[in-house]
Amino acid sequence: MLELKNLGVKKDGTAILQNLNFIAGESDFHVVMGPNGSGKSTLARTLAGHPEYTDYEGSIEFKNRDLSDLNPDERLIEGLMMGFQYPPRIKGVNIKRFLTKVLEKVDGAEGPETKEEKIKSATGELGFSEDLLSRNINDGLSGGERKRLELLQARLIEPEVLILDEPDSGVDVDSLELISDQINHLHDQGTTIILITHYGSLLEEIDLEDARVHLFKDGNIVTSGKADLAGEVDEKGFNQIYEECGCN
Amino acid sequence: MVVINNTGVQSSQELSIERQIEKIVEDNDEPKWVTDLRYRGMRAFQSAPQTDPVIADPLEFLSDQKETPAEGIESLDDLPEETKSLLDELGINEMEQRAIAGLSIQDGTGMIDSSFRDKWEKKGVVMAPMNEALKRYPEARERFMKLYDSGASQLAAYHTAVWNGGIFLWVKEGVKEEIPLHLFFLIQQEALTQAPHIVILAEPESEIKLIEGCTSPILPKHSLHLDMTEAYIEEGAKLDLTVLQNWPEYVHTRPTQRVKVARDARFSVTSVGLGPGKSNITDPHYWVEQGGRVDVNSIILGRKDSYVDLGGVIHLEGENSTGINNSKAVIMDKSEVITRGKIDAAASGTKGHISCDGLIMDDGSSMETYPGLSSRVEDAELSHEAAIGEIKSEELFYLMSRGLDEEEATQLIVQGFVEPVIEDLPEEYLSEIRKIIELALKGEK
Repeated sequence: MLELKNLGVKKDGTAILQNLNFIAGESDFHVVMGPNGSGKSTLARTLAGHPEYTDYEGSIEFKNRDLSDLNPDERLIEGLMMGFQYPPRIKGVNIKRFLTKVLEKVDGAEGPETKEEKIKSATGELGFSEDLLSRNINDGLSGGERKRLELLQARLIEPEVLILDEPDSGVDVDSLELISDQINHLHDQGTTIILITHYGSLLEEIDLEDARVHLFKDGNIVTSGKADLAGEVDEKGFNQIYEECGCN
Repeated sequence: MVVINNTGVQSSQELSIERQIEKIVEDNDEPKWVTDLRYRGMRAFQSAPQTDPVIADPLEFLSDQKETPAEGIESLDDLPEETKSLLDELGINEMEQRAIAGLSIQDGTGMIDSSFRDKWEKKGVVMAPMNEALKRYPEARERFMKLYDSGASQLAAYHTAVWNGGIFLWVKEGVKEEIPLHLFFLIQQEALTQAPHIVILAEPESEIKLIEGCTSPILPKHSLHLDMTEAYIEEGAKLDLTVLQNWPEYVHTRPTQRVKVARDARFSVTSVGLGPGKSNITDPHYWVEQGGRVDVNSIILGRKDSYVDLGGVIHLEGENSTGINNSKAVIMDKSEVITRGKIDAAASGTKGHISCDGLIMDDGSSMETYPGLSSRVEDAELSHEAAIGEIKSEELFYLMSRGLDEEEATQLIVQGFVEPVIEDLPEEYLSEIRKIIELALKGEK
């Protein structure tokens, strides 16, 4: 479904991602872990089509289609969505108006549920009261609320591939549970998940039976394994694992 | 900035102010003291400083006052077709029909009046053409041209000499009206000065909302809109004024406001310049007495090489009075916007805040902002904030990553930028303003 071949990305002349190869199939669950600055967010933003990272080496194919000439909005419509690590605040832009507009973009013909009903039910699912809808995008929202709003959008958009960039950072315990529930739900529905995270705590809440865990270092995947690799990271830290696998 | 080409309009240059006045007097049966004021303006013109950076010679703009009353206008259906479609465009028609609010339209320099007047008069709201009001109401006479100095500038003097049309709005004591009154200015002739003079008297404890719409159905060249509003908000009264301007790119607008806000009274003005015309320069003054409050909100959409300069002073003269000045400018197509609002505190316990935000959409457009605060007392609380920037790329990326294309994402961000200033306006106007922003940004691409 999503295939990266020899992906190389530079920022201001410095290589952030190098020679990265990665394949995600339908309904896969991938966990990407790695220390700060190892290139995880750059990977997410490159996949989403951030204008700073459109000039890359290698190729990104999504559903056998080259993504290089697709804008971020076209990628979303194709079925590829990224949840932001730091969702920006957008002053004066009402959340309900925004979500309605998003649904206009991704929804085909109106089903039995109206857009308004869909938005209201997703709002409840993510633990928000309806007050949220009268607020502006990420304006005055806590860290956990911002990340939940990302998952709320994912629930409305129902992407085929969802890349989540640290949905657990800056998040309180209650939000963490709502977020992990939602990730599980989307995965159960068939969404391919690529989850970027630092810590194991989110993973404890997630059904990882078939998950693949990839460790990042200096812009590349240096080792991959099953779910227990995530546990090892929590126990030993990245450095020791890199040493053990000869990845340094 | 563009200085008017003097070769453009020849006939107006040949007309001296005196001849303009003679023509106005000939066409109108006005009291001698009114005409005397005109001549005083004419004399002031000779010595008044030329302060306008754009209009080198106001005489280019011919004033031709001619009453064109359209009798028997009972509803919007009786208006000329052209006017109706214009109101439609502004989203007024629908609102009007639902609310059956007051409506007065100034077409060119003449007044089109309507029978709405009678209905409002029964409620205690008098709305009369200025000319008529000066003959009929001592309340209008006593307040006419009292709040400004006709020698302050050539344009002020010129307005004094050749003013034409306008209304007297008189809200009687304790009258509170929720439905807004509408007043529209249309400008349709080439090389025309439209100089309406408006006097508003809100008696103690009255409350009223007035919506002024300014636009032009055709593209007149070098037209000048030189209006003057003098408002008296008496003790405990409240006036909400909304001014929607949508001028074509050739019209120069010089709206002037002089407002006295009495004890515990409130005056709030929201002006939305969706099409500011070729140039728009204002220097309003507000005098606020004890416990009174003035809110000045402006939205400027600088388009098509326009030049906008918003000045003005809120004078906090009474104890515990408040002045707020909020402006949001969206600037494109090589437009130039300057904001230089000022708050002057002369009494204790006063509060004032100025905030100016500018969003620059392309290279070649520019903004300058000079928030001014001055205090002559020790316990005034005055503050200001100003920010000029462009659309943040992360915000654009965020919205695009949710499926909105670049144009839609930009529109949403710009609408959000101006939203805090207009959020209290009726929904009909909000959607209209959003629509115009969408159109303006579409033209951008």
